[in-house]
Order: sequence, then C-alpha cells, then structure tokens
Amino acid sequence: MAKDPVDIVIIGSGAGGGPMAFELTKAGHKVVVLEKGPHYQQSDFVHDEILNSRRNFFMPLPWDEPHLLRSGNTNFKHSNDAWTANCVGGGTVHMSGYFYRLKPVDFRLRTELGAVKGANLADWPITYEELEPFYEKAEYELGVSGNAVPHPMLEPRKKNYPLPPLRSHPIGDEIDKVCKGLGWHSIPTARGILSREHQGRAPCTYCTLCGSYGCEHGAKASTNASLIPRALATGNLDLRPKCMAKEITVDAKGNCKSVIYIDPEGVEQEQPAKYVIVSCTAVESARLLLMSKSSRFPNGLGNDSGQLGKNLMFSSFGESRAHFKVSTTKERWPWLAESREPFVNRSLQDFYWMPDDKFGFRKGGTLGFMWTHPNPIFAAAHIAGRGEKGVFGKALKDRLREYRDSKILQFEIYGEFLPTDGTNVTLSDKSPTKDGKVVTDKYGLPVAAITVTRHPLDLTMTKFLVERGEEVLQSLNPDRVQRLGVAGETMILQSGTARMGKDPATSFLDRDCRSHVVKNLYVVDGSFMPTSGGVPVTLTIAANSFRVAKSFNERLKKEGK
Amino acid sequence: MGGGVVLLGSACTDEKKPSPNPPAAPPKPAPKVGDTPTATHKSFTAEQWAVLVAAVDRVIPRDEDPGALDANVPQYIDEALTAQQLKKMQLDFANGLNALNRRCERMYKTGFATATAEQQDDVLTIAFKDAPESTGEYKWYDILLSLTLEGYLGDPSYGGNKNKVGWKLVGFDLVGREAGEVAPDYEGKKALDHLRCGSGKGC
Repeated sequence: MAKDPVDIVIIGSGAGGGPMAFELTKAGHKVVVLEKGPHYQQSDFVHDEILNSRRNFFMPLPWDEPHLLRSGNTNFKHSNDAWTANCVGGGTVHMSGYFYRLKPVDFRLRTELGAVKGANLADWPITYEELEPFYEKAEYELGVSGNAVPHPMLEPRKKNYPLPPLRSHPIGDEIDKVCKGLGWHSIPTARGILSREHQGRAPCTYCTLCGSYGCEHGAKASTNASLIPRALATGNLDLRPKCMAKEITVDAKGNCKSVIYIDPEGVEQEQPAKYVIVSCTAVESARLLLMSKSSRFPNGLGNDSGQLGKNLMFSSFGESRAHFKVSTTKERWPWLAESREPFVNRSLQDFYWMPDDKFGFRKGGTLGFMWTHPNPIFAAAHIAGRGEKGVFGKALKDRLREYRDSKILQFEIYGEFLPTDGTNVTLSDKSPTKDGKVVTDKYGLPVAAITVTRHPLDLTMTKFLVERGEEVLQSLNPDRVQRLGVAGETMILQSGTARMGKDPATSFLDRDCRSHVVKNLYVVDGSFMPTSGGVPVTLTIAANSFRVAKSFNERLKKEGK
Repeated sequence: MGGGVVLLGSACTDEKKPSPNPPAAPPKPAPKVGDTPTATHKSFTAEQWAVLVAAVDRVIPRDEDPGALDANVPQYIDEALTAQQLKKMQLDFANGLNALNRRCERMYKTGFATATAEQQDDVLTIAFKDAPESTGEYKWYDILLSLTLEGYLGDPSYGGNKNKVGWKLVGFDLVGREAGEVAPDYEGKKALDHLRCGSGKGC
C-alpha cells in the first residue's frame, strides 16, 4: 500500500542530493530522502582498514551488487568499480576532498575545440559566471580550506576560500621551488576539510587516514557532516536510510507519480510525490531511470531522446611516484624523517588549457600532488604485485622493509574525459550471459552494465600530463621515479548519462536539470554534465545542486500561488 | 584517488568463483579421521589447516623480522572466513588448500605441509601465482595473498597482526600519532557483525 503523499522525494544524499535536501527543507518544504546505504554517525568512523576499505562498509560486495564492466566491445565482467560510498552522504563521506572549481573554458568546449571526431562534445547551456555564486555558496556551506593565489589558469572568483589553507608538509615548499624553476605555477590545493572550526563543526586533526575513511570529527566536507544534520534540524526532512529505490512510476500524463523502494526490512514500499529528484551517481541514476519503464516510457523514464545512459564520463587518470629513502635523504632534508604532516596540497594547472595543439591536444587537466595512501594492506598488496611480476616470501619482506624506510610522493591526473558513443551505461538485461542469464543484484534487479571506450586524445593528453608531473618528481632528486599508469580512468568520479542541453533531441535535462519531457523529474548528481572538466567533479556537483535548488524553490513558490 | 578501497582483492569480483581444481587432478582422497572442522578451526579441516599454516609461512616467512605465523595470520583467516557473506569464499578457499596439497603430492610425492620450503615455493609459484589470470589457481593465490596481508597488517582486534608486528615491519606504527590508533576496547569483528546483520548503531 502506498504511503501518504509528500511534496518532494530525493533519491540519494551525496554531493547532489545533500544540497537539495538542505535548501528545500530550509525553505520549508517537506522532503523525503531515500538513501540506499546506512546513516553512519561520527562514532562509526574508525581507523580500521579492514572495516572501511576491505568489506562492505562503504562499497557493496561484488557478489551482492555487481556492476558489469567492459572495455570496448569485449565481454562484460563483474566489477565493483564505479560505486561510490553507499551511505548517507554518499561519496562525500569517503572522498579525499580535492575541491577544485571548473574553469570558464569547460562550459564551452564544443565552441573552443570545434567538432572533435569521435567525441560528442557539447557546450553547457549555462556559463561559468552563472555557476560562480553557487561555487561560493557550496564552498561556504560545505567548508572548503584553501588560498586562491594568482596563476594563469585561476578561474574568476569574487571571494577567496571561506577557510584558510590546511597546514602542509615541507615537501610542498620543495615542489614550489622546482615548479618555479620549470616555469610552472605550483598552487595550493583547496580541500573540503576544515582548517578551523566552521559552523559548529570541529577542525581537522591531521590524523593521516583521510581519503577512503569517514571523518570521526566531522571535519571533512561530507554532506553527512555539513548539510544533512542542518536539514534534519529543520524538522522538514524525513531521512530514510537503507532504502533502495527501484522504480519511479508515472501517471497517465507521463509525470512522476511515486517512487517504489525496498525498505530496510526488505519490504517493497511506494512513496507518492509531487516531485522526484534523482541523485544516485551518474551510473546508478541512469540505471534507476532506465529501470523505470512504462507504456509511456518504454526505454526508461523521460528517455524520448534515447540519450539516457549515453556519454558517460569518468576522469582521465595517470599516476607516477617518487620514492625517497628516508635514511639517506634526511641529510639533505632533515624534516623528511621528522614531519608527520599528512597533506602535500600542491597542484599544477598549467596544462589545463593549451594555447595550441602543438602537443596533440588542447584540453588537459590538473595534477595533484600527495603522499601515497598510508593504508598498510593496500600498500603491501601493491608492493607484492601480481602474476609473474608478483613476489612473496623473503623478497616481499625485503620490499616491505624498503617501504618502511621510504616516503613516497605521488601525483594524480584529473584529466578531461571526452564523451564518446562507446562509453555508456545500459542495463544488464540488454546483455545476457552466454547461457541466457541476466545478471541481477541481491534485490533481483538488473545491474548497471558499463562500457568504456577511450578517446585517443584522452590518452595523448594524460601521457603528456604524466610526463610533466614526472619532470617535477625528477627535479626533487628522488631515489627513483615509478610510473604507474598513463591511460586510466577514475571511476568514482562520474558524470554524463543525462546531459543537460537546450535541445530535447540531443539532451536529457534542461538548463535547470529538469527532464525535458517529465516536468516533475530532476537529476542533480554528475549526470547533468555535458563534459567532464579537468578536475574532480564533487564540488561542481554540489555547486550545481545549490543552483538547481534555487530555481526549483522559485518554481515551487510560483506554483504554490 | 581515495586510497585503497579494494574490498577483498580483485579476485572476488569475478562472476566465476575460484574453482582451483586442476582438470587432471586425481580423485579426492577419502576423508581421514578428524577430517572435519574442529573446535579449534572454524573454517578448515585439520589437513587444510596444516596446509594453510605452511602456505602463509611461505608468503611472509619469519626472518630477522616476525612472519605471518608470529602475527597469528592463520587464526585471523580462520575467523575472517566465518563471516556469512564470505561463505562462498570460505568454501572456495578451503578447496584451494586441498588443490594445493594435491598439486604438491603430484609434483613432489609429499603433502604441502611436509614439503621442503623450496618445494613449497615452487608449487605456490608455478602452479598458482604464475597461473594465467583467468584461472582459479591465479584467483586462489590472490585470495591467499589478500587474506595473509589482512592478517598481517590489519587491525589487531581481528586476531591477526599480533603485537602489531606487521605494522612495525612496514612502519605503520610511526604513521601519524593518531592514524593507527583506535579505542582500546574496539573490536573490528563486532563492527563487521553490525554491518552484516544491519543492526549497527549507524543503521
């Protein structure tokens, strides 16, 4: 039996759903948030690698809720990639909080680059200038620490960050020096981590275990720490954790009627609502909408254009590491052995937008410098290696002892990921296995089937950025530099699948992130993005959600009259 | 990015669960007396336990620094695989120990637990670690390595990493004054149980 109708249901509580829940409840609207994961409290966050990173604390187990993943036209394989944390706050809970803004050029890439063969480039229907006030708002409400120093790629901004930068390790000064020598601009990395008390939340304690953990002090800018508690305090939020949405139904007019979900006891429930806001990640939102079939929408809710699930994007990824032997380097850098500062917090954006295509590409991305993650099981598994190159026994122990005497500096690339026809989300029931079976999750639902086909320009660009990063690492005179990859993608950073645009024939959402055809349906995670940008998407998702909340609140006011 | 959310290692993501029975394997020997899980071992028979002990001792042997046995890695694995959600993994992993033993018998006419260290390393390397990626043998080795590293380097409240010997080897005891520290009465197993049954305080 259906529950009592409510005005608004939001599905998902992360970077997209969190700001909507916050702004709408603050404006006095009654909101139900359905979140498939649990509602962790700060006391649930413990520095236990097994609990956090190796079981289903954040990520579902692959035999409970698999994704199907393939490269190009190969066979699908089960994967636990492309999940972000399943809990109240979503990916913002276990993120590292590298909070960069996009640049103006990101909003008009089709115009700037022209037609790029094999890439479905599109300009955004909004400009950077339209989003700028909401970046400012998101930075304030979530709590971002940083310092916007002048550099050639600095995006226009009215204000500096709301909080001063976090302390950083002395290696940051060395990176500044060598970058200057190379003619580049090492800039402080803004972080979604509180450098001092903010809105009643405690500041960072520099505990070292940050990314892949929840913050037990609430210092990380998760929506679970920053926005959800304040939304709950309005009394207008009915937060329902461990509730898995499986379908959005429509009425005779083709508008959203209700959300069908599975409650914590495994019982199916129906929640009627006047408006439905979807924010489950680009992959999972596409899946939910594709699963919401009706006679009006046989190809998925609102999918008249056939665009739903297409143009999925991740973040182009590359990585190299510089190994410093502490026992020998300490003569040169005494602080290397002594300093326990966890943050390097340096970035390079000199190759974000190239003046010409001399190096084979123009749209690049960002390099972020950091110490390698200190999780010991994770580190040791990497050190042990796999297959014929893998080691065990004395060789493994020798490598672990070498690791003990090492500080390992790495960079990550957050590069443009061009949208292609070959990178998309479909449902597993479109791709049965050889014996005709459909892969389903523990709820019996078809799962997201993800196909990734990289555009060659992405790989040219990523390799170039990795080489520049290695120049920085080499200039620091490490014992060795190790290249880990030049052709990867960061699958926790997702966008596309329901891109926004002016033309209903070529886009799923309008400029307000409302469905072109289903007038009471919104999508506010990274799905809306026409292009990926060259930074992690989290802050942009949050800023855009604040922007959408404003227009949505105005709409409600108008319709209320 | 984020660092290390790998669950139990990549092996567990395959739709085909590890089934490391080599095609040419001889029929399984008849069970011996005591060849059932005992009160001491929750996830393994006595024979499997002996193979497990010998195997993890080769993955992280004792030398001038403590090894897997000093850290109570077998006890950790035995306990970890009692989790309801890892039931299939427990069965596959235990079968894999049988397969390892049979392979050793075929190669060296002796069981794995009684083979020389050199023979043990050869079987582990040739028949399992270096096996093609699509095989059950490769995946079984991946799980062995994953579980051994968890038992050696995980939070000591799970029963492994005894006296933090693993953390001391890799220097994790020095990482941040707070990073490795959890409340003295913290029990990872209880936190995991809460996850499983859904009755955690955060739920």
